Amino acid sequence: MNRVVATVLLFPRNVGVLLLRVYRAVISPLYGDVCRYYPSCSAYALTAVQEHGLVIGSGLAARRLARCHPWAAGGVDDVPLKRTRRYRVTSFGFVVAPSHGKG
Amino acid sequence: MDLLGIILWPLKWAVELLLVAFHWLFSNMGLGYDDGITWVLSIVGLVLVVRAALIPIFVRQIKSQRKMLEVAPQLKKIQDKYKGKKDQFSREAMSRETMELYKRTGTNPLSSCLPLLLQMPIFFALFSVLNDAQHGKAGVGPLDAARAESFGQASLFGVAPLHDSFATQWTHMVAGEPYILAVMIIAATMVVLMTASQFITQLQIVSKNMSPETKASPMFKQQRIMLYLLPLVFAFSGVAFPLGVMFYWLTSNIWTMVQQFIVIRNMPTPGSEAAKAREERLARKGKLVANDGDIIVVEEPKKPAQRQQPVGKNRSKKQTGPKK
Repeated sequence: MNRVVATVLLFPRNVGVLLLRVYRAVISPLYGDVCRYYPSCSAYALTAVQEHGLVIGSGLAARRLARCHPWAAGGVDDVPLKRTRRYRVTSFGFVVAPSHGKG
Repeated sequence: MDLLGIILWPLKWAVELLLVAFHWLFSNMGLGYDDGITWVLSIVGLVLVVRAALIPIFVRQIKSQRKMLEVAPQLKKIQDKYKGKKDQFSREAMSRETMELYKRTGTNPLSSCLPLLLQMPIFFALFSVLNDAQHGKAGVGPLDAARAESFGQASLFGVAPLHDSFATQWTHMVAGEPYILAVMIIAATMVVLMTASQFITQLQIVSKNMSPETKASPMFKQQRIMLYLLPLVFAFSGVAFPLGVMFYWLTSNIWTMVQQFIVIRNMPTPGSEAAKAREERLARKGKLVANDGDIIVVEEPKKPAQRQQPVGKNRSKKQTGPKK
């Protein structure tokens, strides 16, 4: 029961994860390494959505994009992480409820 | 108005203003008001303004690349530290340290995606301006109904309407309706030209303007992928986009190519092939200044004063032929 709820709750952010993965696979290589930050903006967005969900994650990503311009100092800029992490991230990047089954 | 429309509105306005201004200029210079060439030149003018506005960003990038020379030893230290470590965590740690070094020394050579992102809405704005003009719909600002009509109806060489694309003509052809072959030919030619300019730009960078260290880096591999992926993108968009939009893109590509050529010639990456060539060039002219302020002069091999007589093939063999 809990797992069903979790799957439904996590659905929006996993859609976001899928979109970002596609973007990073297809569009990012088109213009190579340009980001002045580490992690790059799209990697930041991916982590932000995984960690905070679609709405807050998108907001964080938008703030990052606004920070990333040719006059910014750049450098290392990580996503603020939550104190407790309730979910597990698969190797693809999907967020799932921690399971005992497949790992 | 939808969200995208609101975001694009000011850009569409600016694009229209530039188009109309250039159109006014060219038609007053004697080009036909409704001619395709006048509108194409207006699009070219638009590109020149946009790209010229992006020059400061480009110069800044070049300057910080120059400054990189000063931090090269520190960069080398980081690279040595992670030499041979190919696992994900080492790579990540290396990227982190490199980025921190850039930040500390203010030498970040990357330009962020803003210059690219900035061009995309302009591109879309032009796309929708053309799209609206196709239906004779007035633009959001300076492009009034009459001008929109003129823009929409303008055709290149009198045969290929600027608002038309390869795809629309293809649909006509397949459906057995009358179609315009010229549109398809021009679209295909532009795809070829864009691919060629892209290749030349990349080849210039790769073959002349890269230090050996960069050539060994994973970033270089990524750029190679781009070299072969972009023609696909061009081909795809060449089919779908109207000729007018393609003209914007083509001109922009050519600008990039020329800009790259000038930069490689005058401000090459230190340590690269082009830098050596430039030093030789300057040394020949006696203008190369060494680090300690001395002027380095290289003697040019003296040219023979007397012209060498042209010699026929057989005679030259007799004169200098190898003795067996």
